[in-house]
Amino acid sequence: MKVEIFYTPGCSECVAAHAKLRTVAQDAVQNVEWRELNVLEEIDHAVELGVITLPSIVIDGDVVFTSMPTARQLREALIKRSKERV
Amino acid sequence: MFTIGKLASLTSVSNDTLRYYEQEGLVKPAGKSPAGYRLYDKDSAHRIHFIKHAQNCGFTLAEIRELLVLRGRDKACCGDVRTRAIEKKLQIEHKIRAMKAMSKALDQLIAECANETQPVKECTIIAALERATVSMPVH
Repeated sequence: MKVEIFYTPGCSECVAAHAKLRTVAQDAVQNVEWRELNVLEEIDHAVELGVITLPSIVIDGDVVFTSMPTARQLREALIKRSKERV
Repeated sequence: MFTIGKLASLTSVSNDTLRYYEQEGLVKPAGKSPAGYRLYDKDSAHRIHFIKHAQNCGFTLAEIRELLVLRGRDKACCGDVRTRAIEKKLQIEHKIRAMKAMSKALDQLIAECANETQPVKECTIIAALERATVSMPVH
């Protein structure tokens, strides 16, 4: 499962949350490809995926969160999608 | 202090627009003249210039209101404003992409209608628009 977090450089709230969310994602489902993307360096990719607010989290190409989720929200979203894939 | 007419001429904005900005809470008079007319100060003129510049950058009046609130908030930092600017850029890039797709769709229709002398009933553009599914290129 591919998880992409688009963030604004200099967003201290985002930096603090990334490490925690990454651990949560890796604990929740197997084979997580985790990417943290500076939106200014990846603007075309962000536009292609439909990202219009920051921070946003895209899971397997779908914009799932348009603000920073809690650890629980991310875990639940990943587990749900993981079950749907089976 | 300026009357609404003077403020309008200083900022190249119509009186009606200034009244609308006031209704929307974007500017407010600093006081009233003895005759009861609204009077505006230099800050109002600065705010109008700010609004016009922000509109040129694609911000809506609702978004500009938020920017003006941030501008006046002690605890706000430049990062808050920067994030809004980046989000606006993302929205604009989305619109550009959508408009390019529209332009390509029109190219296709124009190319299909090579015969300008055909009667309108046989016009391929009209026919294509009447069909429910016009192919829209994504990129």
